[in-house]
Amino acid sequence: MIRLALPTGDLRRDSAAFLEAAGCGIADYASGSRALRFSLDDGGVARVFREKDIPVQVALGQYDIGICSSGWIEELTQRFPGHDVVRLRDLGYGAFTLWLAAAGDRCAPSLRIVSEYANVAIAVARRMRLARYRVFGLHGAAEAYPPEDADLALIAARDAAAVEALGLRPLWPVLRSSACLIANRRSIAARDLSRSLARLLEGGGGADSSAALSVPPKLDLPFADAAPRGVVRIALPDGHQQPDAVAVLHAAGVRVHGYDDGPLVRRPGIDVDGVEVKVIRPQDMAQQVALGQFDLAVTGRDWLFDHLVEFPSSPVEQVVDLGRCRYGLAAIVKDVAANDVAGAIREWRARSPQAPIRVASEYANIADHFARERHAGRYSVIPIAGASEGFVPDDAEILIEGIDTGSSVRANNLTVLERFFESTNCLIANKSRPHGARGDVFDALVERFRAAALAPAAAGRR
Amino acid sequence: MPEVASTQRARGMRDVLPDEMARLRRIEAAFAAACRRWGYGEVRTPVIEPLHLFTAAGTLSPQTLDHVYSFLDWDGWSGERVVLRPDSTIAAARLYSERLASPGVAKLFYSQPVLRFTDDGASREEWQCGVELIGDTGRAGDIELVALALDALAALDLPRVTVRLSHAGIVRVVLAAAGLPADAQSAAYDRLLDGDLTVVDEIEARLPQLNAPLRLLFEIEGAGLGYVQNVRASLAGAIPALAGPLDELAFIVEVLEASGVAPRISAVLARRFEYYSGTVMSFESAGQRVGAGGRYDELIALVGGAGVPASGFALFVQPLADLTRGDPPPAPGIAIEPESDSPRDHAAALAAAAALRAAGISVATIAGAASRGHRLICRGADGGFTLDRDGRGLVLHSVDDVIGELGRGR
Repeated sequence: MIRLALPTGDLRRDSAAFLEAAGCGIADYASGSRALRFSLDDGGVARVFREKDIPVQVALGQYDIGICSSGWIEELTQRFPGHDVVRLRDLGYGAFTLWLAAAGDRCAPSLRIVSEYANVAIAVARRMRLARYRVFGLHGAAEAYPPEDADLALIAARDAAAVEALGLRPLWPVLRSSACLIANRRSIAARDLSRSLARLLEGGGGADSSAALSVPPKLDLPFADAAPRGVVRIALPDGHQQPDAVAVLHAAGVRVHGYDDGPLVRRPGIDVDGVEVKVIRPQDMAQQVALGQFDLAVTGRDWLFDHLVEFPSSPVEQVVDLGRCRYGLAAIVKDVAANDVAGAIREWRARSPQAPIRVASEYANIADHFARERHAGRYSVIPIAGASEGFVPDDAEILIEGIDTGSSVRANNLTVLERFFESTNCLIANKSRPHGARGDVFDALVERFRAAALAPAAAGRR
Repeated sequence: MPEVASTQRARGMRDVLPDEMARLRRIEAAFAAACRRWGYGEVRTPVIEPLHLFTAAGTLSPQTLDHVYSFLDWDGWSGERVVLRPDSTIAAARLYSERLASPGVAKLFYSQPVLRFTDDGASREEWQCGVELIGDTGRAGDIELVALALDALAALDLPRVTVRLSHAGIVRVVLAAAGLPADAQSAAYDRLLDGDLTVVDEIEARLPQLNAPLRLLFEIEGAGLGYVQNVRASLAGAIPALAGPLDELAFIVEVLEASGVAPRISAVLARRFEYYSGTVMSFESAGQRVGAGGRYDELIALVGGAGVPASGFALFVQPLADLTRGDPPPAPGIAIEPESDSPRDHAAALAAAAALRAAGISVATIAGAASRGHRLICRGADGGFTLDRDGRGLVLHSVDDVIGELGRGR
């Protein structure tokens, strides 16, 4: 019985076609069904993941075979060179290149590199023999960071022209990537997957295009210290937090041009003098505020909590609870008799005394903190990028996830063991406040957000 | 739930049991005693250091940097990573430049582990007994280090110790003479450090003026001064800059030979370490590499200090422990126990144990599993003792009687 990990997102259509051509078609996967788990004709199972999660799931041995971009395999390999993923074949679609790109002509003495591919970026920095560097792993929007908030970005793009279209200067193609069929080494060694393998490996697809990392011989970016900042910089969220941020801005009487609707603009204009706006992922804001790149940011209390449990001495703090985008973080399980976390841990320990309890979450630091504080004993945190439905009990014992009313949890026969954190959107700032004229602008802006948070419409809104 | 590992010990980490620990302590004690005899003072550096100390070109090779344990500390929100000490020399250079830099020579030694990831399940924690000689000591310093290492090793009764010498300047000069651009020199050097000798052919192709093969230098291991002079005669005509490092090496070899040490000579000894700039040394016994070191004149400036020349070496504790006997086990002591479980008898046993220890006798109040000594039953404060020796009970009246009896039994 094969266990197959399949990608959602950009690779889904081509992957469905590949499976169909190989005689392993999954009709619901091909049709774009919202379900995440499918039963296969031969008794096997297929599960849909965010592409980034697939190498991790296959490496852990939770799935035998997977399809994902070779870029994500390299991201795993650079961190865990001894992992159990083997590449079976290049599938010839989903091609892109990881580009090292810049926007400015100077860099900070401790070079700042941003990327969703943080481990690849670290490897690039090492191979370039950079004397001092900092790599910031992002959840997305790396192209928005240079030149103000990063010196280099390592981004996925089809070609150099696509990098330029993002407003960046392509410096070097670091890695060429395309969709790959991968397998777990131990599954190949010990399980009979021959029927499926024969189909998946026969015909179609391209040659193995896996290539080593390539790095530029040197970087023509002279050092320069950052110039003093004349404006207050605020980061606003994209994604599911954006509508609530728009509502707060409206309530605060602040107009941000190109943020309310229409195509996403990373540097929208604002009608407040002395303020500059950038739109980035809410997950990445706390660290950017800690670094002093932004004076203020609108994010979720969940992501602030995740940052603070990773870096307890970080200088970031919440200055206004904006009261919207409300949900709780909860420990979710399935098929557990106990009604609290301690009881569940006892139950799992009785079943398998030494096996690690798997805690899966998009909030890797909160999951780690949760397991530690609940004395889980031997546990492992499985970071996931999303598509968490159906994770328990097959792929993890506990799922740490945001829940609203809990109706979807109940609909899936899941159990909330503990709702342990209430999240709302909030305004965060660095404990070192700006001074002088910038300080006045900062204080006035915070005051407007505070007034917006107190508006009656905020209470109980989601 | 996932599979269960057969041990709870972290992969690549070792437990050390009492017998092996005795050997490790013997090595450390012999090393420390030798260092003190030669005028060195002991230091210890932190197990966590900033990563950037180790990433600058000229410190560790990329191959080594791929295997360091680096991470964001709890206060690492600035993005600056830290690392579990992967190398003690760089850490000692940092310590010197921040805490000890002053005119004159600093002579430091330490016994501490370095941590590096290994792909093959080998130990990831490697204990080293290291020495750093920081200051303008020149060739005399390198000679002192070789002699000090041999002095420390001599106390361990090892099979014959072989000294190998090289000079990092030899490779650097050849690469520069080949006209390779700086970044290509670095790449070629990395390949050589990694043991890839195909690069020698590529370099030769760029040196048409050579009238002797470079493999004379890179493939042959020489036996002393004669070899150094042969290489000089064969290659220094075509690459005049080779004369400097070869002459320095020849001087050191000549002194050592006159002192009864017969060093072997190799062009490349220091794999995976880029900071060596002059003489490089290695020590072997019974086919195992038990120590290595060399001159690193540019390193202290690279970690932010003044341009102070320096050299050093480290002895590798684990291979030495495999070749060394531990100290002889201590004479069997005694295990004392109260006649009854009353507080008064326990207190009397404790007092008697203290008096016996003051007389130099090993006394356990709880007998260990490996206890080889005799059993002494304490019959209260004034009740005397029964010494149980091989099943025969001997009644003794005082601590002095016990001391006397045990003294007779030694």
